[in-house]
Amino acid sequence: MLPSLRGLTHFWRANLAVALGAAVASTVLTGALLAGDSVRGSLTDLTLERLGGIDAALVAEGFFREELADPSPPTPLPPPPADRERGAPSRSKGRLSSAVPPSPGGGEGVGEGGQGGEGSLAPAIVARASAVHGSSAQRASRIAVYGVDERFTRLHGRGDLSLEQAAGAIFPPAVVNESLAGELGAKVGDDLLLSLELPGEIPRETLLGDKEAEDVLVTGRFTIAQVIPDRGLGGFGLAPHQARPRNAFVPLAALQEILEEEGRVNALLTAGEAPDLRTTVRLEDLGLRIVRGPAHVSLESEGFFLKPAAVETAEALAKGLGAAPRRVLTYLATSMRAGGRFLPYSMVAGLSAGGFAPPDGQVLLNGWAAEDLGTRPGEAIEMRYLAMAPGGGLREERTVLRLAGVVGMTGLGADRSLTPTFPGIEDAEDIAAWDPPFPVDLSSIRPKDEEYWDEHGAAPKAFVSLATAQRLWSTRFGDLTALRFEGPHPPAPLSHRPPPDRERGEIAAHDLDRIEETLRRELPARIDLAPFGLAFHPVKEQGLAAAQGSTDFAGLFLAFSFFLIVSAVLLVGLLFSLAVERRAGELGMLLAVGYAVRAVRRRLLAEGIVLAGAGALLGLGGALGYAWLLMAGLRTWWLPAVGTSDLYLHVEPSSLAIGWIVSVIAVLIAVAWTVRRLARVPAPSLLAGSTVAPGASKIGRLARPLALGGTVAAVAFVLYMILAGEASSPALAFGAGASLLVSGLAAVSLWLRRPRPSRRLTLLAMAARNGAASPGRSLLSVALVAAACFVLVTVAANRRGEEETETGAGGFPLFAESAVPLAVDPNHPEGRLALGLPEDGILGGVSIVPLRLVPGDDASCLNLYRPERPRLLGVSPELAARELPFRRALDNAANPWTLLDKDFGPGVIPAIADESSATWILKLDLEEDLTMADEAGEPVRLRLVALLDHSLFQSELLISEKNLLRHFPSRAGRSFFLIDAPPERAAGVSQALEEGLSRYGFDVSSTAARLAAYQAVEATYLQTFSALGGFGLLLGTLGLGIALLRGVIERRGELAALRAFGFRRRRLAWMVTAENGVLLLLGIALGTAAGLLAVAPRLAESGGAIPWTPLLSTLLAVLVLGFVSSLAAVWSALAAPLLPVLKEER
Amino acid sequence: MTRLSVRDVHKSFAAGSEPVVVLQGVSFDLAAGEALAITGPSGSGKSTLLHLIGTLDRPTSGSIGIDETDPFALPEPELARFRNQTIGFVFQDSHLLPQYTVLENVLVPTQAFPGKIESKEAEARAAELLDRVGLSHRLRHRPAELSGGERQRVAVARALINRPGVLLCDEPTGSLDRAAATAVAALLFELHEASRTVLVVVTHSLDLAARFPRRCELVEGRCSQASAA
Repeated sequence: MLPSLRGLTHFWRANLAVALGAAVASTVLTGALLAGDSVRGSLTDLTLERLGGIDAALVAEGFFREELADPSPPTPLPPPPADRERGAPSRSKGRLSSAVPPSPGGGEGVGEGGQGGEGSLAPAIVARASAVHGSSAQRASRIAVYGVDERFTRLHGRGDLSLEQAAGAIFPPAVVNESLAGELGAKVGDDLLLSLELPGEIPRETLLGDKEAEDVLVTGRFTIAQVIPDRGLGGFGLAPHQARPRNAFVPLAALQEILEEEGRVNALLTAGEAPDLRTTVRLEDLGLRIVRGPAHVSLESEGFFLKPAAVETAEALAKGLGAAPRRVLTYLATSMRAGGRFLPYSMVAGLSAGGFAPPDGQVLLNGWAAEDLGTRPGEAIEMRYLAMAPGGGLREERTVLRLAGVVGMTGLGADRSLTPTFPGIEDAEDIAAWDPPFPVDLSSIRPKDEEYWDEHGAAPKAFVSLATAQRLWSTRFGDLTALRFEGPHPPAPLSHRPPPDRERGEIAAHDLDRIEETLRRELPARIDLAPFGLAFHPVKEQGLAAAQGSTDFAGLFLAFSFFLIVSAVLLVGLLFSLAVERRAGELGMLLAVGYAVRAVRRRLLAEGIVLAGAGALLGLGGALGYAWLLMAGLRTWWLPAVGTSDLYLHVEPSSLAIGWIVSVIAVLIAVAWTVRRLARVPAPSLLAGSTVAPGASKIGRLARPLALGGTVAAVAFVLYMILAGEASSPALAFGAGASLLVSGLAAVSLWLRRPRPSRRLTLLAMAARNGAASPGRSLLSVALVAAACFVLVTVAANRRGEEETETGAGGFPLFAESAVPLAVDPNHPEGRLALGLPEDGILGGVSIVPLRLVPGDDASCLNLYRPERPRLLGVSPELAARELPFRRALDNAANPWTLLDKDFGPGVIPAIADESSATWILKLDLEEDLTMADEAGEPVRLRLVALLDHSLFQSELLISEKNLLRHFPSRAGRSFFLIDAPPERAAGVSQALEEGLSRYGFDVSSTAARLAAYQAVEATYLQTFSALGGFGLLLGTLGLGIALLRGVIERRGELAALRAFGFRRRRLAWMVTAENGVLLLLGIALGTAAGLLAVAPRLAESGGAIPWTPLLSTLLAVLVLGFVSSLAAVWSALAAPLLPVLKEER
Repeated sequence: MTRLSVRDVHKSFAAGSEPVVVLQGVSFDLAAGEALAITGPSGSGKSTLLHLIGTLDRPTSGSIGIDETDPFALPEPELARFRNQTIGFVFQDSHLLPQYTVLENVLVPTQAFPGKIESKEAEARAAELLDRVGLSHRLRHRPAELSGGERQRVAVARALINRPGVLLCDEPTGSLDRAAATAVAALLFELHEASRTVLVVVTHSLDLAARFPRRCELVEGRCSQASAA
């Protein structure tokens, strides 16, 4: 058997060139895959370092007992207290009361069942805060504060925290990471002031919610005991983002004390499988309490309003017991008026069907109130009350109800237990001592009101139907204040007799004990914990999934390197073709001695396979270097695009294998094309040394229709753009440009192949004629250069200038985020007063649009992780009134904002996203859905109805405020702000707001800076694309040079003959250089012209302002390189002595 | 028995709008052991006629029969096999493969259809042929190490390795000096007579042509035949 592959070594120079070409293709292709591996691997590393041993986390809106993290064996519930009427307040400030006092030693039972192994759960307080350096007053906003103890460090396992208070230290210690220390300019021993939001059980956006700064915020002073690195424990965070967080770790107990939440936490962290908290959770962990009276049991909420989940579960339990609770909604009327008489501050109870529930629109008064107002049944009573204004703050509203009757001052008629605990009211000795979180006009209080308070406390004076009460006072946080199970009591109406209590399932006294016990034990075990935030999230699993990346960097770099890969592959085809063409006689001989064409083809392919395989293998080494270089680039030059310098080379063997296989296939396609072409050449031609098949090639045959069709298509595109008013359509323009490119290349092909009539034979004509000697080779060279120029021009044109960033922010020069949501409107005088902001001065005339924000994952290109739960922003009418650049909208809506109110059916929320985020990060298009869980853990589908164009809102999805409040009802306050200020005052406004609202962690940024940051990512990617496209162009030029060199070598005899005829070397050099120059200029001119047509709308939009300098520099470099390679080729050919070359010729 | 039959063969090529007529009605028959020299001025169609006989190209019209077979009726793979087994070629350029040794070059045709001849048998035959052409001492040499005459002798051995019935030579001595040309010509006749092949030689050399009993002179595509006196 003959060694059929011996030609590989014999023609090693030519074959080495082919293998090196394959190596370049493999390097770039596999390197791109490794870049993807590296980003994913680095993000995975970051996730694992960030979370350490923590697998799952629970972060609740409210606080719960720290004992939920206690793995001690379960103990029985303590017996109900002896005095069950209004248990003594259990909270330090007495703001909330509980019917269940803490058991001695803090060893409260944990219910039935156990949870996890020892040390597998760590309690923590997770909060956002702002930090101020104790002496320099340097600020840092939106930092993360973690109240932790040794259970946390043990669980995390990637570092230690020095959280022991040093002897003699005045303030508790804090450990900060390098990022925070750097921002504050702080070092160990410095003091640090942390401002946090005080937890409030009652939603701030209700009548009873705290709104004043001193009630909302608390500041603690700490001494920095340790500065830890940003990686590992110092980079701890539950949300996946590659940016280094600014973290402060403080002792759990110290933070509990500052927040007045001793023994309570808002987070549990766990290693391994998350425990089922339903076995250990208690009513108080859910913010629920049971109030037991002599003849009733009530289920109430610490948050004033009962969550629907609590109501549903409690009613289901009651149904099992055969009991029907009364639904209660009690509210405060600021006044009632009848016939000119006035009754201030009265509780009004809305009760479900049964006694004390008049028809809708009517009211019952108790005897005291009826007498005070001097009214009679049938008369109108005007009731006034406070309600939340849409922008925050309170406003007084009124309603008129018809008096249905008067009830006696016994039983429910004077039952203070119908009124849940009102902070600042409940425990007051008298009305004058009220300190509620809303304004009270104490001057309207009369002595008789104080007497009523002394005798009946907060007992309602009026009763309406539940429907009426809910119509007037229901909130998104709930529409009931109690579920009440009642025993027998004497009904005593004066003029209105309620129906017998039996009708609503009156309960025997002894059954109340059973109901209380059932609610206490069964309700926590049966209730859905998700609406209470008591659900674990598999943060590590989610983080690792998100580490797969929002951007497929493998795909990205493959796309960026596409032209480079194509160039390398075409170069391989060219080199292989050159190598094989030298062996035309060999191929002809093989055919002549009886080798079948297929056998010859197989022989060449076998060589190609070996070369491709070896080259691609060699390229794997290059790929490692290339990927390393890309990572180094991402860490340094392209840092704005990735925002982290923690990206390192990671190698997946599968990527090496895939890269090798795909490279080999790509190279083989080029080789096969060459082989197929050669196989069509008849043996006699091959024997004569020719590799040109007789007759027109396929490309030659296609050239004419392609040239014609391309021209027609380009003209059609342009005409359509003009006539249909689509002059700014990028897609149509690109179509026109691409058509022109195809048409131009086909025309070049025709020009190269056309028979040239004999004209005057000038040197330039000879050069042009020579260029057409190998039309396929020349066309390939022109196509490579033209395509590269096309890409470079289109990419350069898409780089945006700074002036284009203004429209994306709707005209707002500033935007801000606060760590603590503002419950009041900073535009209103009252709101500014509450926030301590001046109305005039630097803030005079400054308008602020506050928006509700549901925190979540950054959906912009600034986040490398894949966002699972993107941030949501509620669109207010003020924002919708602004003009923002929309790219596309459903049904081409004229005002896409209106689409946010469109009804797509249950569970579907219309949403608007920025096109960049939707396309590249969320991978969504119009009408496509992103499914995520709402606050109650229910899946909701966010359907894209419009796409913004390069807007400020790339990090979040925009939904209507109504939908935001419906699905995330506990998101109280606004924490995202758009600020309209005169540009010349923007810096001053920014400083004034940051200083004035520093305790809220108010962080103001320039919208232009944010847009520039987004743009920097795009610009970086485009630069990368340009750079790699430029490399591709250089490779194409190199191919052109190689083809030229080969041609010159083939024509050494011809050139020698010309010299013998008297041609001087310089003239010959000019002729050969001109040959190359003609092809080069053709390629550049064609690619540039087609590229400019493709980006014509973009050019028109930017007034022709594209980065011409780098573009022209690249094109010039290509031109220079092309000419230099020509000269080198000519020099090598003409440097040879004349006679030996002439003698070589037969 | 007629081995090679050429009947009214025409050949023209497309070149621009007007076809170029190369051969016009060439006919002749050759029996086993017969030899024919084809002569004529440059461009008269000598090589084209040889390529047609060698089935490397197809006639525009007319027929060529070899061993009473119409080779052009065969599908391409069968035609290749037919050519491999029936026809031997010697070109003006030896077209030896530089990467192979002399022995391997002679063996190249046997690898077109491996298994047809046992490799040991093929090697023995190649060695024998090289011995007959006087190159038994050069078996392991590369073509680059041979003189022009030696390379052409290797090409002759290669042409005979599959014992073809028809041996076609295109200017086999055209690139050789007189002594080498004489030696190669002698070798061709010797082998032709020994193996009784049909020998067709295209040549410009009047000396070489004069040694052939039959000659075909191509003038303007037409063959005027002459026999040795």
